[in-house]
Amino acid sequence: MDVFTLIFWVITLVWLGFSLKKDKDKTLKAIKMSGGMMKGIAGDILGILLLIGLLLTFVPPETIKATIGQANEVVSTVLFALLGSITLIPAFVAFPLVASLVDAGASIVPVVAFLTTLTMVGVVTFPLEKREFGLKFTLIRNSLSFAFALVIALAMGVIL
Amino acid sequence: MTFLRSQLKNNRFLMIVILAYVAVGIFAPNKFLPSLGNTWYYVKEMLMIMPVILLLTSLISAWVPKETIENAFGKNSGLKGSLFAFLLGSFSAGPIYAAFPVCKMLLSKGASIANIVIILSTWAVIKIPMLITESKFLGPEFMLVRWILTTLAIFLMGYITSRFVKSADLPADDEAAAALDGPLAVNTDYCLGCGLCAKIAPSHFKMVDKKAAVISQTLSPGDGLAIKDAVAKCPAQIIRFYC
Repeated sequence: MDVFTLIFWVITLVWLGFSLKKDKDKTLKAIKMSGGMMKGIAGDILGILLLIGLLLTFVPPETIKATIGQANEVVSTVLFALLGSITLIPAFVAFPLVASLVDAGASIVPVVAFLTTLTMVGVVTFPLEKREFGLKFTLIRNSLSFAFALVIALAMGVIL
Repeated sequence: MTFLRSQLKNNRFLMIVILAYVAVGIFAPNKFLPSLGNTWYYVKEMLMIMPVILLLTSLISAWVPKETIENAFGKNSGLKGSLFAFLLGSFSAGPIYAAFPVCKMLLSKGASIANIVIILSTWAVIKIPMLITESKFLGPEFMLVRWILTTLAIFLMGYITSRFVKSADLPADDEAAAALDGPLAVNTDYCLGCGLCAKIAPSHFKMVDKKAAVISQTLSPGDGLAIKDAVAKCPAQIIRFYC
């Protein structure tokens, strides 16, 4: 286990200890609630992880590297940003997927664009958002998010 | 049998992937075990992080004083309001659409457009449980740089949106029209499926297809307390109770 994960474990366990001591009932109820939510997506998580296994076995890293590593970075970044906009999977599940691509040698620029649009731009949830906040708000927020996703991705490419 | 069918329906994606594995086992048996092996590596990583995320999400929902934060919003709350918006988004759980009803409620309390954009975006991309997962799989440095850049972008986006969109552009609240068939209503579009309402007030709520549903509109004396508790505990704040 790396140091970072370890730190989170320690912080969480200490907080949990205090929480249990202060209000056991409240704490247990909250855990039950998150547990319920987690159960809801457990199947999807397992599905994605199994899919990653298949992908990594059938698509050798060299191929991944050649397609998203050496292809035109701007084109692949825009494509990945578009892909992220239309997909609706929990970010949770997206991280291992994306990590497997990076481990296989994919450039991080398209990957960051995907991560950002995946969560911030919602084509599938567009009708919901429009109903709550109106067309103008929804259109501007989603377009801005898309544009900034590209900017963030390119900046990450320069920094890292 | 019905249990099996509902399981199949709820986990359609997992079933498709499992079928793919069966196909691999038959047509390319030499790839079967390597595929499982590759998966195992990521399952291990996930197991290391899942309990922390689960516990942290629970602790946040139990102890972060959402009401206090929500009351700090206002038309003229300025930078402080934006900071609270950022915090509210960071300490949340659930996908972006779970934030819609919360934001709607805040708008009615006088939150500014800029702050709504800040909450929605923070909630979507850089909430704390997500950062932990990101750092685990992509490294702390990656997470930190992306966090800084995204934070800057979010505040800029809030400012830009507020220049273009005014409160008059938002649709009016249509809550009153929605409450026709009884005192209770659940906006299932945003249900996260946690099942808390069904646990707290089982005589009025039930989980149907992973979503909360109202099963009884009749109120007996004493029901009010449990229902109010369910309304308050609902993480997506989608239960409406008129009495």
